[in-house]
Amino acid sequence: MLEIKNLHVSVGDKPILKGLTLSIQPGQVHAIMGPNGSGKSTLSYVLAGRAGYDITEGSITYNGEDLTALPPEERAAKGVFLAMQYPVEIPGVTTMTFLKTALNSQRRTRGESDLDAIGVLKLVRAKAKTLNVSEEMLKRALNVGFSGGEKKRLEILQMALFEPRLAILDETDSGLDIDALKLVAEGVNLLRSPERAMLVITHYQRLLDYIVPDRIHVLAKGRIVAEGGKELALELEAKGYEHILKDVA
Amino acid sequence: MSSVAQQETKKQVADIGEKYKYGFVTDIEMDMAPRGLSEDTVRFISAKKGEPEWMLEWRLGAFRRWLTMKEPKWARVHYPDIDYQNAYYYAAPKNTPLKQSLDEVDPKLLETYKKLGIPLHEQMALAGVAVDAVFDSVSVATTFKGKLNEAGVIFCPISEAIRDYPELVQKYLGSVVPVTDNFFATLNAAVFSDGTFVYVPKGVRCPMELSTYFRINASETGQFERTIIIADEGSYVSYLEGCTAPKRDENQLHAAVVELVALDNAEIKYSTVQNWYPGDENGLGGIFNFVTKRGDCRGVKSKISWTQVETGAALTWKYPSCILRGEGSVGEFYSIAIANNYQQADTGTKMIHLGANTKSRIISKGISAGKAQNTYRGLVSVYGKAKNARNYTQCDSLLIGGECGAHTVPYIESRNPTARIEHEATTSKIAEDQLFYCLARGIPQDEAVSLIVNGFCREVLQQLPMEFAVEAQKLVGISLEGSVG
Amino acid sequence: MTLAVARRAEATALFAAQGVPTRRVEDWKYSDLKSALGEAGIGAQVAQWHVTDLPAGVEQFDLSQANPPGWVIDNFARGTGNVMSAASLALSVGGVALRVPKGAAIADLLKLDFTGPGHVRALLVLEAGASLTLVEGVGLSEFRNVGFEIALGEGAALDHVRVSPADADAVLVEEAHVRLAAGAQYRAHFASFGSRLSRMELEIALEGAKAQAHLSGVSVLDGKRHSDVTTRMIHAVEDTLSTQLFKHVAGGNAKAVYQGKVTVAKGANGSDSNQSAKALLLGEAAEADLKPELEIFADDVKCAHGAAVGDLDADSLFYLRARGIPEAEARGLLLHAFLEDAVAQIANMDQRELVRTELLTALKVIA
Repeated sequence: MLEIKNLHVSVGDKPILKGLTLSIQPGQVHAIMGPNGSGKSTLSYVLAGRAGYDITEGSITYNGEDLTALPPEERAAKGVFLAMQYPVEIPGVTTMTFLKTALNSQRRTRGESDLDAIGVLKLVRAKAKTLNVSEEMLKRALNVGFSGGEKKRLEILQMALFEPRLAILDETDSGLDIDALKLVAEGVNLLRSPERAMLVITHYQRLLDYIVPDRIHVLAKGRIVAEGGKELALELEAKGYEHILKDVA
Repeated sequence: MSSVAQQETKKQVADIGEKYKYGFVTDIEMDMAPRGLSEDTVRFISAKKGEPEWMLEWRLGAFRRWLTMKEPKWARVHYPDIDYQNAYYYAAPKNTPLKQSLDEVDPKLLETYKKLGIPLHEQMALAGVAVDAVFDSVSVATTFKGKLNEAGVIFCPISEAIRDYPELVQKYLGSVVPVTDNFFATLNAAVFSDGTFVYVPKGVRCPMELSTYFRINASETGQFERTIIIADEGSYVSYLEGCTAPKRDENQLHAAVVELVALDNAEIKYSTVQNWYPGDENGLGGIFNFVTKRGDCRGVKSKISWTQVETGAALTWKYPSCILRGEGSVGEFYSIAIANNYQQADTGTKMIHLGANTKSRIISKGISAGKAQNTYRGLVSVYGKAKNARNYTQCDSLLIGGECGAHTVPYIESRNPTARIEHEATTSKIAEDQLFYCLARGIPQDEAVSLIVNGFCREVLQQLPMEFAVEAQKLVGISLEGSVG
Repeated sequence: MTLAVARRAEATALFAAQGVPTRRVEDWKYSDLKSALGEAGIGAQVAQWHVTDLPAGVEQFDLSQANPPGWVIDNFARGTGNVMSAASLALSVGGVALRVPKGAAIADLLKLDFTGPGHVRALLVLEAGASLTLVEGVGLSEFRNVGFEIALGEGAALDHVRVSPADADAVLVEEAHVRLAAGAQYRAHFASFGSRLSRMELEIALEGAKAQAHLSGVSVLDGKRHSDVTTRMIHAVEDTLSTQLFKHVAGGNAKAVYQGKVTVAKGANGSDSNQSAKALLLGEAAEADLKPELEIFADDVKCAHGAAVGDLDADSLFYLRARGIPEAEARGLLLHAFLEDAVAQIANMDQRELVRTELLTALKVIA
């Protein structure tokens, strides 16, 4: 579903990713682990199509199509979803308005008809319940004044609502206490399905206790330096990144 | 505040006029220009300096222009009309010109600077700071010339530069602050008598802090210095000026011009600790400080950073500015302005964004106490070609007592859609809960005020070179002693 | 008419001395009235006013008539040093005076429109405890100068909504002087779509304790249009409160101006003032000039202002696009959101909706 080959990415003049290769099939959950500054967030932004990240070499193919040629909104409509580490606050736009606009925009891009306001409301309410997102939160301006946990829950709610085919979770565990983390992980696990691929990006092994990946890749200095099954996370937790980095050096 | 404390502080307020510890006069024989201002005065000064013809012509041009100009009145400062004919425009200690070594300098002058805490001898050597000492109208001593020469840095009185480096002076003099710029700058162009000239050659990181110490001593005399600093490509220099004057009942005029030029990738850090005599507790006497300071970031990625601690002067009119011409150039303005008793300060900056990707940052902390008026006046202007220009301004005012005023006048102008300007300002009184907390922990009132105000100013104090930061912190405390009532 | 003869004479002298302001006048630095008017100048015509369905309980007096009632004499032409206000007083014998008597709460909107070229005066008096919503309409005209005086008695409450429509040629200036007694409230919203020169100037004097003024405004400007809001908020006594929130969007070669001066007089302790002015520039040649000014002579105050100029936040734009919202739509959403908090200040729901709708229409053109 997703094929990344020899990807080199620079921000400004500074190379961040230096030859990253990765392949994910439908139904799989992959995790990318790595220390700060290894290029994890860069990877997530490049996949979502944020401006300012220059691909200097390599390719990203998504369902056989060159993903890099698409603007962010078309990627979203084609099923690419990025749950962001720092969801943006937008004063003046209520959460509900935003959800409705986004959902119908994606549908329109795919050539589907709009859902009416009531239809969207029903859908959102149903998903909101399982993620403990209150009616009141939906009325507030998008992410404004939300706690860290509330922001992350809203990200997962959107994931549930948009039903993406490729979900990228960037440091979804950051800033969450254990209860919030469990709630978010449950939400994610509910969305695991044979048609859907997930890429979980995290610094800590903790999240992977709750979202168990099929495959783990260790990212350091812009490249994948180690790969393995879920046991690799435990090894990293026990020995730290230094150890693995030393081995590959 | 208890009434006992109030009584105590009232007394301290009364005493503050006595706290200006630089108020002494040095008794030394002076060489003066005749009183008044005319073409003859300009010729007299030029002749005293042994200047070349081009310099005299430049001055005369300025003088003729000045005669047609009007004194600016837009600032929030009120003062009696200045009688420009009733002052001296040149005063120099006799037998002083251009010493080759400090040993030749009149011991009385060395003693003066020692009393000011600026010993030109050993301590400064230890601190590794090169000093140019300007006494009234002339430079009396410049230290560390040898070591700076080795690095290729020119650091000398401007009168010497006119003689020894005429092509450099001609190239840069008036290139940042044009002769016609404003009333006070034009006056300065006509009658400036000394100041400092600095040239840092390509790629040189100036090996030490440079410093000029300005002292007004003579009575009824104005000080008009002109400082030029040029940082050639890839060079760096940090420069600090300090100022004091004797206590007198009269108002004396100080009208300086500072021109900075930073070429490609060069950086100039310019710090000022201004402690001119502020006048007494009734507003009698003190220096009128009308200063034009401007830096031109001419080169790409050049940077000019102004830091000022303004505690003295009866009246301050001063807007150190940056012209951000070079692509990616950076301008900074960090300011603490303290006005107590009857002091009036109208100070701020101008950040003129001409080039693409230029950035500026303004941090201003104003403190008003007594019956003082303190105004921040600033301009951030982004021109059409300044793509992606950025400015951040934070402007805070602190009021101590209900008789003073704090004013904020920012002008924000943008003509480029990709530019971003952010300005924030607050005005509030000194926090009673903070004061009480300090008092409750046994900190005496003045010290508590000093502590809180220093905290309020921290961001700016941090910008000062280490050697001077401690002095500046003390000065902040001293200027406000007895201000809480 | 014999009303305020002495005050008119003063105004005539003031205007004669100062003339039509040029950019050299500090307060008119960003709005070049003299050149916008060109050779025609300000003329001496009398502009028209019109009240639609005067609500029951509101008293009306035509200022061009003889024998004004006492409340008009007491409140008319109380005077300030404002030059254009002086011009309207000196040059116009026409205008309207309106009064809401003591304690009357008027539920119906008072709709007051100004039309035609020239100068006109208006006076609105709300006596103690009275309340009213004023909807001011601005008719297009090559030049009009409105001098408006508003006096709010103790505990009176006025909601004021003014919408200035888009026009490439009109030169529209208005000076409102609002005086508030203790406990009075003035809430005003100024929506502007710009004209050759459009200036709303407010001088608000909080003269009684607990008086409060809440100003908000939006402008959406395209083409070569100009819009200037200039406010002068005077906290004359203690325990007074003011807030200001102005948002501008400028496309094309448009120019948005906000100048706001907050003065806290000596002894006006407990004054609380907040000012925020923000502008988004969308056009390559658009311009925004903001000058939020504080003038504080008392120490026990809380005063703050913020000002910002920029473009749309790139992070927000990316977030919306990453969730599938196309760029143009995302920009529209963010522009609307940018203006929304100022629009939300309009208390009257119908008026709020009207302004919102007009903004959406204007944004579609510009974005």
